[in-house]
Amino acid sequence: IHPSSDEDGIEQDLLVSGSLRIIDKDGEIIVEYRPLEDTVDPSNMLCAGKDSSSVVEWAQCPGERSHQLLETQQSYETEWDMVNAVSFKRKPCPNGEGESRWAFTFSVSDLRSITVKEEGWTFLIFKLKESSTTLPTLHFHQGGSREFLDSLRRFVCVLCVCRTPDDETCLIVSTPNKALSQSFENLLDDNNFGLVHKFKKDPYVTTLGGFSKVTNYIFDAFRGTEEQHQRPPEEVADLLGEVIPGLEINQQEEPGFEVITRIDLGTRPQVTRREPLSADDWTKHQDPEGRMIQIPHLRQVIFKGGLCHAVRKEAWKFLLGYFPWDSTLEERKALQRNKTDEYFRMKLQWKSVSEEQERRNSRLRDYRSLIEKDVNRTDRTNRFYEGIDNPGLVLLHDILMTYCMYDFDLGYVQGMSDLLSPILYVMENEVDAFWCFVSFMDQMHQNFEEQMQGMKTQLIQLSTLLRLLDLAFWNYLESQDSGYLYFCFRWLLIRFKRELSFQDVLRLWEVMWTGLPCQNFHLLVCCAILDSEKQKIMEENYGFNEILKHINELSMKLDIEEILQKAEGISLQIKSCKDLPDSVSSILGFTSDVSGSEPSNPGSPWAPRATQRQDACSNGHGHLRETSSHNSCKVAFIS
Amino acid sequence: MTTKTSLLKVILLGDGGVGKSSIMNRYVTNKFDAHLFHTIGVEFLNKDLEVDGHQVTLQIWDTAGQERFRSLRTPFYRGSDCCLLTFSVDDNQSFLNLGNWKKEFIYYADVKEPEKFPFVVLGNKLDVTERQVSTEEAQQWCQENGDYPYYETSAKDATNVAVAFEEAVRRVLAMDERTDHLIPTDTVKLHRKPRSAATCCS
Repeated sequence: IHPSSDEDGIEQDLLVSGSLRIIDKDGEIIVEYRPLEDTVDPSNMLCAGKDSSSVVEWAQCPGERSHQLLETQQSYETEWDMVNAVSFKRKPCPNGEGESRWAFTFSVSDLRSITVKEEGWTFLIFKLKESSTTLPTLHFHQGGSREFLDSLRRFVCVLCVCRTPDDETCLIVSTPNKALSQSFENLLDDNNFGLVHKFKKDPYVTTLGGFSKVTNYIFDAFRGTEEQHQRPPEEVADLLGEVIPGLEINQQEEPGFEVITRIDLGTRPQVTRREPLSADDWTKHQDPEGRMIQIPHLRQVIFKGGLCHAVRKEAWKFLLGYFPWDSTLEERKALQRNKTDEYFRMKLQWKSVSEEQERRNSRLRDYRSLIEKDVNRTDRTNRFYEGIDNPGLVLLHDILMTYCMYDFDLGYVQGMSDLLSPILYVMENEVDAFWCFVSFMDQMHQNFEEQMQGMKTQLIQLSTLLRLLDLAFWNYLESQDSGYLYFCFRWLLIRFKRELSFQDVLRLWEVMWTGLPCQNFHLLVCCAILDSEKQKIMEENYGFNEILKHINELSMKLDIEEILQKAEGISLQIKSCKDLPDSVSSILGFTSDVSGSEPSNPGSPWAPRATQRQDACSNGHGHLRETSSHNSCKVAFIS
Repeated sequence: MTTKTSLLKVILLGDGGVGKSSIMNRYVTNKFDAHLFHTIGVEFLNKDLEVDGHQVTLQIWDTAGQERFRSLRTPFYRGSDCCLLTFSVDDNQSFLNLGNWKKEFIYYADVKEPEKFPFVVLGNKLDVTERQVSTEEAQQWCQENGDYPYYETSAKDATNVAVAFEEAVRRVLAMDERTDHLIPTDTVKLHRKPRSAATCCS
């Protein structure tokens, strides 16, 4: 405790050392703070900072509780030696007062929230439900705050963790009912301190529901970018290591044990692909004024078989959202006229920049320089871009330059030429290709942003899915420091553009643009490819480098129809699973069919979004720890 | 006693479009494709060679050069035995950026003694007619920055490519010998142990 000099008239650097304990007192959980001089026997104390294991071990014999309470020698209490800084003066012991003025106790049932702050060390601020009582802030100069919080979690449920603008983490807590399993936690990264953000989607449902199903998953993601730069792959892997969906905690007859089992996904349905949509079929889906009709059916057909090439030029404009489905032919013509004007206005902007101006505009210069280089290295074996003076190259260049004017903040990032090339090839028209590209970039934008947040989010999501689908394979990858799936980077950045033949890319993309059969279907495409490779990877015992190499070398060897078939099968398999973890449901956009009784809410603010970083403070072991006490709850918690 | 093959990790760094992938492909597969795709993500190839009686497997890492991809390439810097700083003689900006690449490498590779680390500088695209960087300028930079060996290469016509990689290997081996004198004879040296990765096909 740092007593405030203003209030107390004490020297400013005075510091009250003390110990903090959690005591189970006849079923009531008490948090007790005592200044060091007041503790009965300092030799009792376990120093959490030095030996966290002594804190984590927690033996409890419910029957003998009240007896043992008196015997502080038992490991019945856990204590934290918080403050022992030699440079600080110790407060003189207030002899004879009976109880120190700094000591305090409170019952955890009175606790409303804990605020965690960092200033080189961690300090905790407790808020009680009765707001009139204020407790002194506890400073953990020698660490141990996490151990304390972890242990406290056995008795309280952290309902949610909020992040305030002042870089504080506020844990809202509640004391749970007995015999309830409490599910935790989506974690969000704290950018600045690597703290943990935990989100509980709907705490009350779990508390009141009274059943023990637990979906428990943790994300340990990339930390702040600067920090991440310094990490070797294996450490990056560690950071991403804690994704555990697909786990379920079954409460057994015997109290005190929680058995972790894998979710049974059932067998994967066999699906068949169909023929591509023909030009005739496409026209049949248009009314006399040119509006598209029976759109859900149309999407379904495109999902199942793709489009024959003749239809693509028209259909892609709808699939990408450049043309509204319900627009008439007339409306589309007007739209195109406007969009043509807008395009050439932007094109003129970079076309009219003089050399002098460009000399003073390093960003434009850099964009132009890289676009020129990359256009020369994009799909040059394709008929549309081959040779030296192919007009396709000029169009590719001009559209990318105009996109820089459209979105100067993003400008040009490598990979974008790969995304444009197939679109331009299909459109054979500069303006239409530009606007279709703009629509596609709306989906892909985050992949290319400064922090590459879209990439990080997708890698985490893919990891989550893979863990559900094949824990053994996931564990293998993890053991080879590849659990963070770096080798899928190229797949995700440019949607398999480099992995498939040009024609297969067209097929895959139009299938993906239908939005069927679920959100983030491209991640299931990844799972499908990995499913086909996992046997080889594991049998050959590939390490980090070999896995990367093997995946890189799959390029142009993949069969798109086989992959789509498998990916659709996986989506059906996951969809039919009853005990799907929330993490998976929200990635794929499956809404829960059990209304209200389950904490599943894909539309919640905690649904994965790129702006949210997910992280954990876990050490990679003991994600779930059994706790036993007949009067307190079961808590699955993170260490 | 040294019949074992050492695995050396070298990494090619430099601006986008200077020809990093082309240099690697020329050296490992002896092929050149002017329209090779620009690299997305990270790739590597292995190449076995013998330098001064030492059997070596070079593991050559090639990365995406754009600034934006920094956070995705830097984790791969760790454990590098040598860094090939690459620019293009027809692109002055790529030459000016050499210092930044060196800095980035030293920072993220966590190099213990940066002044002793073996860098080799490559001025690629020697085949193009319009140079923006003179040989003298480049040599001067190398001299001032740590007396680095400088090679003007052409991945297109294979000029100096193999020589440059061999020099890189010599520099690494020379480093090792220097260190070996400092290490007591009974010390087990772990970092140059032959690894199974060396058997991976390239």
